[in-house]
Amino acid sequence: MLVQQLLNALTLGAIYALIALGYTLVYGILAMINFAHSEVLMLGAFAAWALAGWAPAALGSGLWGAAGLLAAGMLGAGLVNVLIERLAYRRLRRAPRLAPLISAIGVSIVLQNAVFLWVSTQSLAFPQPAGTSAVSFLGASINGLQLAILGAALGLMILLHLFIARTRMGRAMRACADDLEAAKLMGVNADFVIAVTFFVGGALGGAAGVLYGMNYGSIKYNMGFLPGIKAFTAAVLGGIGSVRGAVLGGFLLGFLEVLAAGYIPNGAQWRDVVAFAALILVLLARPSGLLGERAAQKV
Amino acid sequence: MKRAWPWAALLLALAFPFFVQGTSFAYLARVGGIVGLFMLLGLGLNFTLGCVGLFDLGYIAFYAIGAYAAAIAQRAGASAPAAIVLAVAAAAAARALLGVTILRLRGDYLAVVTMGFGEITRLSLNNLDAWTNGPKGLQLPPWRPLAFLSADPNVQYDLLIAAAVALACLVSRRLEDSRVGRAWVAIREDETAACLSGIPVRRYELLAFALSGAFAGLAGALFALWEQFVTPESFVFWESVLVVAIVVLGGMGSTAGVLLGAAVLSGVPLVLQATLSPEWINDRYLFFGLILVLVVLFRPQGLLPSARREAELSS
Amino acid sequence: MSYDREMSFSRSRAFFFAAVALSACGPKEKVVKIAVAVPLTGDMGTEGQGIRRAVELAVEQANAAKRFPYKLAAAPYDDRADPKEAVNVANLIASDRQVVAVIGPYNSGCAIPAGKVYARAPVAMISPTATNPEVTVQQLSKDWIGPRVVFRVAPTDDVQSAYAAEYIFRRLGKRRMAVLHDKTPYGQGLAEQFQKAFGALGGRILSVDGISVGDKDFKALLTRIKADSGRPEGLYFGGLYAEAGLLLKQMRELGLDDPFVFVSGDGAKTPTLFDVSGDAADGAYFSIFGVPVEELPGAGRFVADYKARWGAQSLKPFDHFGYEAAQIIFDALERSGPDRERVLAQLRQTRHQGVLGLTVFDEKGDTLNKIVSMTRARAKDRSFQMVR
Repeated sequence: MLVQQLLNALTLGAIYALIALGYTLVYGILAMINFAHSEVLMLGAFAAWALAGWAPAALGSGLWGAAGLLAAGMLGAGLVNVLIERLAYRRLRRAPRLAPLISAIGVSIVLQNAVFLWVSTQSLAFPQPAGTSAVSFLGASINGLQLAILGAALGLMILLHLFIARTRMGRAMRACADDLEAAKLMGVNADFVIAVTFFVGGALGGAAGVLYGMNYGSIKYNMGFLPGIKAFTAAVLGGIGSVRGAVLGGFLLGFLEVLAAGYIPNGAQWRDVVAFAALILVLLARPSGLLGERAAQKV
Repeated sequence: MKRAWPWAALLLALAFPFFVQGTSFAYLARVGGIVGLFMLLGLGLNFTLGCVGLFDLGYIAFYAIGAYAAAIAQRAGASAPAAIVLAVAAAAAARALLGVTILRLRGDYLAVVTMGFGEITRLSLNNLDAWTNGPKGLQLPPWRPLAFLSADPNVQYDLLIAAAVALACLVSRRLEDSRVGRAWVAIREDETAACLSGIPVRRYELLAFALSGAFAGLAGALFALWEQFVTPESFVFWESVLVVAIVVLGGMGSTAGVLLGAAVLSGVPLVLQATLSPEWINDRYLFFGLILVLVVLFRPQGLLPSARREAELSS
Repeated sequence: MSYDREMSFSRSRAFFFAAVALSACGPKEKVVKIAVAVPLTGDMGTEGQGIRRAVELAVEQANAAKRFPYKLAAAPYDDRADPKEAVNVANLIASDRQVVAVIGPYNSGCAIPAGKVYARAPVAMISPTATNPEVTVQQLSKDWIGPRVVFRVAPTDDVQSAYAAEYIFRRLGKRRMAVLHDKTPYGQGLAEQFQKAFGALGGRILSVDGISVGDKDFKALLTRIKADSGRPEGLYFGGLYAEAGLLLKQMRELGLDDPFVFVSGDGAKTPTLFDVSGDAADGAYFSIFGVPVEELPGAGRFVADYKARWGAQSLKPFDHFGYEAAQIIFDALERSGPDRERVLAQLRQTRHQGVLGLTVFDEKGDTLNKIVSMTRARAKDRSFQMVR
């Protein structure tokens, strides 16, 4: 049971971490909560779903097909996120701090309802890669799909780390996150860097959406909401704006939830209560999150 | 100061339910009451969000606490006015207590903790079946204090809520221009400087929390007594977001702005419900979202920003 | 009675507004509306949209058959499954005199406060789906204002789960069960009544857990159930297909296979279940109210018509309840003419043979039809086969 619960926690945590990264990247540069991120992840899943419906044969059902879906989801979600930034946030960069938040809420409502009008409200079957049957390991039946999801998520996190740490663009992103004005003065094209940040954050969210869809085998127009607020919680838990914090927070939240549902009698219905209570306790002890550097300003 | 128009607005708010009752526009009395409840909530949140600048995504929890406190008290045999007082006290105390616990936190950390508190409250109401009857909700006996004015409960509660909103506006306005209001602004602008100027920051912040809890409790109690029924389904995260949007879109720190924000944001879906034809009814919230985005893009400072804030922004 | 005086006093003004409205529209065919007040958006929009489609189908059929000397119209309203919005909608409907009866609300949390508004109008309301006994029982309270207007075609919780308990205990021979529900009035109601009935038969309930609607990951919980030292022989779930499908899928992934049984209620019995669960649903049991629609001659035609009108994928678990509610209203309309009070009076006399079997209302407005059947999911053709 322990091995199985461990894997459950890791898979859930990896998905939360991917979504949390999207929140934290955007926050790092613009100090705004991209409330529409949960819809971006949902749209990523739907982009992949649309591709699967349009070209089922070309993709095949194996791991390569799954990789194609992942790429489609990431591309779709990344582009949507860039578009959202351009249309709904850019005008508000100098506005009062909460104005972009309201705009984001509006965008979130629009996107959710647009998808609902496009595909109806029902749950849709999402293709799961074949050949992912259960493997027996240490007395637990380990799901191959879960392992693949975990692997993909970890791979993306490593890629993100390399991108931020090793590339020119990554350096520009870090510079903008440090001090947007100063970076501009040094000749960084801030608009472009912000667009790239939104693309990367959106793509990670889209990847999470696709993996989420694969893991559970179905998607729905409002599927983004719950993982969205959970991952937002995870990002804050780790210290919003911190990339490592988002990953840590994601996994921590995954473990907390599995612990509550798996080991507390009648714990499933208290699962979110446990997760949020733990969050409050952690933040009381460390008011800027586990790895956060500075508390954000007031609104 | 233009002294006349608030009184004219109040008079209109009190008269209009009588004009619509019994007509095919009778539901407007209901709309008025619901908008009024959101005005109360907006004014309450405005103390902490608009005046002190504390970002809060779980405000609806105190609306829920007020509603359930009133319901449980009234079912236990308390009279309705006593239940309202109890609900106000319970919500104010709960919010002050939360304030004491989390006031160290700032900005988005505060937001996520309050969001967590909101969800904890809702889930607890849903899970503590022995006290709250869980997802099945609690029924309340009817309370019709204004039956001599109108037989329609919507009209009665419309009037009660309008009176409550008037009271809330009075309190808000008086505080805004008082020593307390100035202290809040000082804290919002620079907490350290305010502290060094001898303002007891913690005490004033707690006052803001307690007041905003009291307003939510009052709104919750009136809602519970009006509906004669409470259920956890009414107190979801989305409602907290809506109240934040009301304050921000209306104009943070501005009483008139919050009133207008509440009227627009809680009124638009109701108006769309009544006017959209069957072919378009599914698109209701699509339009709502679009309106939200457009308003904020063109009025990022809010519909009616407070004079003080506007001066700050233009400088 | 001040209540009546109020109505007549106000009617003159209503006529004034009506006259203004009419003069703007010009001469028109007389339209009689049946309101459909269900969630059309939000978390429960799926089920609500299905009911809306079923009622629209019924209305289209009645119009095509020229069943009434006037045009019927279905007027949809969206309550988002939010009690406050349901009451808003009820007020809106109550003030529209063209509406003669209401189908909805979908959930009990909305039906309880909305019922009070419809009673004051008064306009009859038939909930297709609300299962909390309080929805109709509240009408017997001394605090109830107005006539009894609330009816429902769905059975209350105890009817279905008592049958399921009996079936599991006697037919399947299972003695130890784990219970799950989704913390909604529907799911929790089913689960609580199941516990009672199964315990009374001498079975053992090993664990009871609640989950949240919208949760996706039940592996932690299922892993614990699998490891339960009491060795459960099956899982009873009170809830809807989205969670049921995921539970089934994750159960199979964790190796909870046959002879471990999964039993649930009618809220999970829909072809959409297979979109969520894939083949994992194969062999799962679902109790349903009435007999399977496929087995009733009238009901089979409903399914065929519905699929022809709205597409094969669109049938949702409670659509036939909405369709039946519409047919019951048509029956009453035929006998009474388009008038709210007379429709209400005729609804009390209902004796309707339709897609749910025979519907007769008791004095509270609850259906006396208490026939329940058991079906078993078959993944290869996405169907549910009746089992005895």
